[in-house]
Amino acid sequence: MAQNFTNLTSDCQYWLQKLSALDQASTLETQKDTCLHLPQFQEFLRQMYEALKEMDSNTAMERFPTIGQLLAKTCSNPFVLAYDESQKFLIQCLCCLINKEPQNSGDSKLNSWIRGLLSHILSAFRFNIKEFDLFTQGLGYEPVDYCPALLKNMVLSLVSKLRESHLNGFNTRRRMAPERVASLSQVCIPLVTLPDFEPLVEALLIYHGHEPQEVLCPAFFKAVNEAFLLKKISLPTSAVVSLWLRHLPSLEKAVLHLFTKLISSERNCLRRIECFIKDSLLPQAACHPAIFRVVDEMFRFALMETDGALEVLAAVQVFTRCFVEALEKENKQLKFALKTYFPHISPSLTAVLLQHPRDTPQGCHHQLLQHVSLMLRKAVEDQACGSCRDPFESWFLFIHFGGWADLAAEHLLRSAVEAPAAAEAPVAALLWLLAFYYRPLDSHQQRAQTMVEMEAVLSRLRFLTLSRSSPISAEELRAAAGEDSHEDPMQPVCGRLIRHLLLNFLLWVPAGHAAAHDTITLMACTDEISHEITGFLDQTLYRWDHLCTEAPRPAKLARELLQELRARV
Amino acid sequence: MDALLQQLERFSEVLSVSRTNHVSTWGPETVRRALQWARYLRQVYRRFGSHGRIRAALERRLRIHWGPEGPKSGLTSFRALGRGDVLLSLNLLQNRALGDAAGRALLQQLFPGAGTGDADAEALQTRLVRLARRRAALLLLRETDCFRGGSPGLLEDPVLLTQAQLLLGRLQEAGETETGDPSGWLGRLWTRAPRVHFLQVMAVALLQPLEELGPSGPKSLGEEIHVLVRWLLEQSEVLAAFCRLPAGLLTSIAERHPALSRAYLVLLTDWGQKLHYDLQEGAWVSADSQDVPWEELLRRFQSLSQAPPPLKDEVLTLLESCKARDGNFEVAGLSVWTDLLLDLPSSASKLCLGGDKFEVPA
Repeated sequence: MAQNFTNLTSDCQYWLQKLSALDQASTLETQKDTCLHLPQFQEFLRQMYEALKEMDSNTAMERFPTIGQLLAKTCSNPFVLAYDESQKFLIQCLCCLINKEPQNSGDSKLNSWIRGLLSHILSAFRFNIKEFDLFTQGLGYEPVDYCPALLKNMVLSLVSKLRESHLNGFNTRRRMAPERVASLSQVCIPLVTLPDFEPLVEALLIYHGHEPQEVLCPAFFKAVNEAFLLKKISLPTSAVVSLWLRHLPSLEKAVLHLFTKLISSERNCLRRIECFIKDSLLPQAACHPAIFRVVDEMFRFALMETDGALEVLAAVQVFTRCFVEALEKENKQLKFALKTYFPHISPSLTAVLLQHPRDTPQGCHHQLLQHVSLMLRKAVEDQACGSCRDPFESWFLFIHFGGWADLAAEHLLRSAVEAPAAAEAPVAALLWLLAFYYRPLDSHQQRAQTMVEMEAVLSRLRFLTLSRSSPISAEELRAAAGEDSHEDPMQPVCGRLIRHLLLNFLLWVPAGHAAAHDTITLMACTDEISHEITGFLDQTLYRWDHLCTEAPRPAKLARELLQELRARV
Repeated sequence: MDALLQQLERFSEVLSVSRTNHVSTWGPETVRRALQWARYLRQVYRRFGSHGRIRAALERRLRIHWGPEGPKSGLTSFRALGRGDVLLSLNLLQNRALGDAAGRALLQQLFPGAGTGDADAEALQTRLVRLARRRAALLLLRETDCFRGGSPGLLEDPVLLTQAQLLLGRLQEAGETETGDPSGWLGRLWTRAPRVHFLQVMAVALLQPLEELGPSGPKSLGEEIHVLVRWLLEQSEVLAAFCRLPAGLLTSIAERHPALSRAYLVLLTDWGQKLHYDLQEGAWVSADSQDVPWEELLRRFQSLSQAPPPLKDEVLTLLESCKARDGNFEVAGLSVWTDLLLDLPSSASKLCLGGDKFEVPA
């Protein structure tokens, strides 16, 4: 506790000097400096209040001899008073200094001085235009009566000045000089969280001057972005998009903020993830290719850093869904070509992947999947086409639209079990798709090997369903999936694939329903696998919802299994 | 109801007293009670704000205290009830005569610190803190270049606009009572406030849109504006000074208010008739230096002749008939009206002459 005070005492000295220096001149530089220090100073005031409220006036004056001077200086600094909650902490500090049992005239003088300061902060606003003061007094009004109205009118006047300046390209007389706009944005920095200022903040964000370089100061963008991320200001989407287009660090901060929220929120609930993502306004903003590329880049980075973590994959997929939705909603004339969003991929491939399976009847899904597989395979294996350098790019694009892989797995399994007599060739395409999804960096041979293994699992599973008298047991299923063999060092990712197939089996094949709970219990031997299965179930339900897939029994089973798994955690 | 009205009056007195030296006799208990009272009346305000009859009764009672000279200190309107606690707090805070003990009690009530659980007190603290923040915002805006140097047009000046809105607000409150005769306190305002400023505020007020979207739904300003117009027409001294405001402004007002435009034109005619042609200077001058000079007259007519049709035609008809009365000269220097017409921009002096001429009072 004592150590805390020594810090505060030295801080006190520091801030006193700082404020004195800032007082000397009120140029743009000192204003910038003041704005930079506002958050720290508020934190200092808050800590000061916490300390002061524990002691009485005399002790306070002894411990912090310069506190009175410092607080007095603060009272005449409008930037500090305008910022966030600084005025509240200042007032509270002053109240703490009041001597509750004045012994002598010195004490009373102190009290009276403090009251004067408080009065100054709260009410000493004379507009310093004598006519104004006389007139309002003549009408019987006090500053508290007209302050809000005056503020509103001044803000609106500035907003319309900005708008006029924006529209009058060649009429230089009506244009606001860039220095004025800059100083206006400077002055707004402490005030972005004041609701009265929202129209002005919006107008500044949308304002485009006639100079090639940015007119507004970066600290302004930063302040608005912070306020927006903490939900202390509400802005229309167009203003936020403008902010991010003009100030890249703000966009990056917004994406990081989203990542933090996604990490710390409940995992494996895609519905909630979708809410967070839509809330962040990033999908809507990403309709601008420039913003999309930055966000996509950050997702790519996260994916690589986490070695393809399932959560990141899921986030990318949900984000892409929301983005495509937003893109469709935008009725803007300028529709950017696909190449601007995905420059490294051939537009035909992108177009194919962007199709929504919902738009085609279920019977035709198989052909669609084949088409996707073919195009993707062509892009990956055809080195001569030169449109993509390495399979990673194709894979990265593919995982944006993860629904295809899930759909492929479903189809594979159902056709293998329900219609075994179907031709082999179509199945090969789906096998390739899945193998590529889970192991993009495999060589041609390795992938072929994986496909063979998958086929083996499928035929074993098929065998299990043929002419059975007794229900299938969990152990049998596990054996069929080949989970017992632990020799293969490549097991981990292949395991995911196999589990994916097995889970589909459990959901879609009636004979598998009975053993579902037990099988899951057996499979979920580690926390990681348990999470993976939960994720799969959640994702499947989410996907069925959006595709309007009619599958009442599987859905019911999936929900039960999900509940059980979640309860276990 | 009676009890409520009495409390209202007593609190109004308390509010007035809180600015005088009398507070030196107040102790901590008095301060606490006064604030409690204010809090109670604020609740009254929130409960009866939408109750037409009760609200009107309260307004009437408060209006009595205006006296013939207009709103003074104390509670001036029903709306002020909602702010009574802030008004009282600020009055006391600023009052140096308030004793030490009472002052400490005041601060304790206003800023109890966090987590005392008293929702009302915290709400008051929040409002006071927000007032401080808004005040700082105004100071900052005032410092920006946008408002200093280079006077904005009168109609774009937010300070004037605010005052115009305040004026109309008061007129509306006055109008809510019986016959609400504002001429008394408007007259007083005219004598107290700086004249040109007052006229500018009135001009801005007269140009406000008739229907305004207020916080509690659309409200019509038509009544108040008509009251202003009527008062202006009754006060010849004020009217004469009013019509000396910038030409463009007056043209806009004349477009909006036909009654005022007629009075304006009459005045212009009078002013014109006072001018005579000085052969030595070769210009129109007047005997009295206080009179409106030729240049200004010309400017005003030029501005009027560029207004849209009904007004423009009236003006040109007037000029033509004055010119005819003077003898219908076409040469300059003989009739002020001829010269005015000659100096108007040619496109403006095109006039579709109707049947009747405008009758000029002799």
